[in-house]
Amino acid sequence: MVNVAEDVISARGLTMAFGDRVVMSELNFTIRRGEVYVVMGGSGSGKSTLLRHLLGLQEPAQGEILYGKTSFTRASPPEREEMLRRVGVLYQSAALWTSMTLAENVALPLQQFTRLSPPRVRDVVELKLALVGLLGFEEFYPWELSGGMQKRAGLARAIALDPEILFIDEPSASLDPPTGRHLDRLILQLQRALGTTVVVVTHDVASILAIGTRALYLDGESKRAIAEGPPAELRERGPPQVRAFFGQGEAVH
Amino acid sequence: MPSEGMVTAPPASLEVSRDPDATLRVRLAGTWRLETETPSPAEVEAELSRGNVSRVSVDASGVSSWDSALVVFLARLVAACRARSTPIERAGLPTGLQRLLDLVQDSATLEGRAEGRPAFLEQIGERSLLLLGRAKDTNGFVGSTTLALARFALRRARYRSADLGLLVQGAGPEALPIVALVNFLVGIILAFVGITQLRRFGAEHYIADIVGIAVVRDMAALITGVVLAGRSGAAYAAQIATMQVTQEVDALRTLGISPVEFLVVPRVVALTLMMPFLTLFADAMGVLGGAAVGTTMMHQALAAYLRQTAASVTSGDIAGGLLKGATYGSLVAFAGTLRGMQAERSSERVGEAATQAVVSGIVLIIAACGVYQYVFFLFGW
Repeated sequence: MVNVAEDVISARGLTMAFGDRVVMSELNFTIRRGEVYVVMGGSGSGKSTLLRHLLGLQEPAQGEILYGKTSFTRASPPEREEMLRRVGVLYQSAALWTSMTLAENVALPLQQFTRLSPPRVRDVVELKLALVGLLGFEEFYPWELSGGMQKRAGLARAIALDPEILFIDEPSASLDPPTGRHLDRLILQLQRALGTTVVVVTHDVASILAIGTRALYLDGESKRAIAEGPPAELRERGPPQVRAFFGQGEAVH
Repeated sequence: MPSEGMVTAPPASLEVSRDPDATLRVRLAGTWRLETETPSPAEVEAELSRGNVSRVSVDASGVSSWDSALVVFLARLVAACRARSTPIERAGLPTGLQRLLDLVQDSATLEGRAEGRPAFLEQIGERSLLLLGRAKDTNGFVGSTTLALARFALRRARYRSADLGLLVQGAGPEALPIVALVNFLVGIILAFVGITQLRRFGAEHYIADIVGIAVVRDMAALITGVVLAGRSGAAYAAQIATMQVTQEVDALRTLGISPVEFLVVPRVVALTLMMPFLTLFADAMGVLGGAAVGTTMMHQALAAYLRQTAASVTSGDIAGGLLKGATYGSLVAFAGTLRGMQAERSSERVGEAATQAVVSGIVLIIAACGVYQYVFFLFGW
């Protein structure tokens, strides 16, 4: 009984600013359950800032953010914590805790937010690491791994609590293209298998086309979102800036 | 994950039966969620071990709600079947679940299994080699720092003079308040200890001499060195260790800039340069601390106390103190930068480097102080 049109996160008239400097104004969008929603745009267009707003790390200058039908912006800190409990985040640099092994990294959310017995925690940790292809690396420390493996370990930690929504910041940043594509495939497989809603922030065109159900284009110049829709469609029929972003239309010399 | 029907959740149940054609039927039903009690796959595994199983068939149509708990169970079951090369039929499973199981299988073979952790003896061996390597590192570090200092003296070292300026400011003027406070207090302490002991011989009027000589010859430099070990030494170690974590040190190295010249030399120079000044300042504060006790407890006039101090302390005493100060400064900077450079690429090591920098800085200072005592004693200085 998965309701496809169910709204998971929406922004209403969201304006983001650092002091007086407006980064993006009047953002209106809705992320639906089970889709891979891509926030794209050039460097400095405010993609990561938007992600920080959605996670409550920064406050909107105007407008509000809703999780489901509840306002996230107006929620009290404990209520927000409750909402974010359903969320997993894969940070750009994986942000694994370097003093802990991979198993401990994945186990921490389980130990803190569930009352599972240690053997069950271990089972779940092994499962999550197996899902990202890192079974057997439980006792390794993050710095003993390659960049791609760290990202996958970060993904295992992000899905440790079976989140309904998975935020991913620049999945392919600092990865070589094959490793980046591999991570894309993994994200897509996990999303299909788990039915998770995925919100991806990226400027990697190949990645956007590979995994995005719908995409939102943030235009750094006008400081507004100027296009939303399936990536392939935007590439062909989007506004000129968006087509240029996809490497279509007039080339820049 | 899909969770339907949150009415009264029926508990997870597992039913194992054998068909006449040696098919092992595994029937799952109820709520398979992490927060609830779920059966262990051991029962099925035991049944498999009894042999005479041609295939396993899993039926999960009775499962009303599931999450990782069910995936863990099934993944173990699939692995057990594979180990015994028994075919397993999972057509009756939800699509999402099948995809997940595929993902577990695919990725488990993806990277190849990692090699296990080393055994206990191996760990001891590795640890010894690590310590040996550290000792070699330290030797190399002393050498390269000396060479880099020589290049600095010849004005051929690569560094930013703005950095050096900031470091000098941080190590010198900014340390004045804490150096003043600590040394003033040490002066007071010495005076109290002195008065109580000298009073037994009726010699308490020599208090100015005793405090003056103790402060100027040793205590000022020693105490200031310890303060700087905690202040600058720890900061240097943390800065450089953090730069290791963020690969800034690598960035310097690949650019052809020696990190020793760029990071270590300015810090060693700044502290070695500033310590004599700080020591001189500390001398004054220590004497003032003694004077505070002398004037209030002994009712001496301040001018008289200071005159008596000046008469007992020679310029040789002052010069010796400043020399010690400079030595302690270079040792503290050396310990701090060494620990920073030795740090590994992990945020935990940053704190460790800072701690080690303070500890080895203080140990080096005390050891050097002992050596100075002996040498000065030999030459009657």
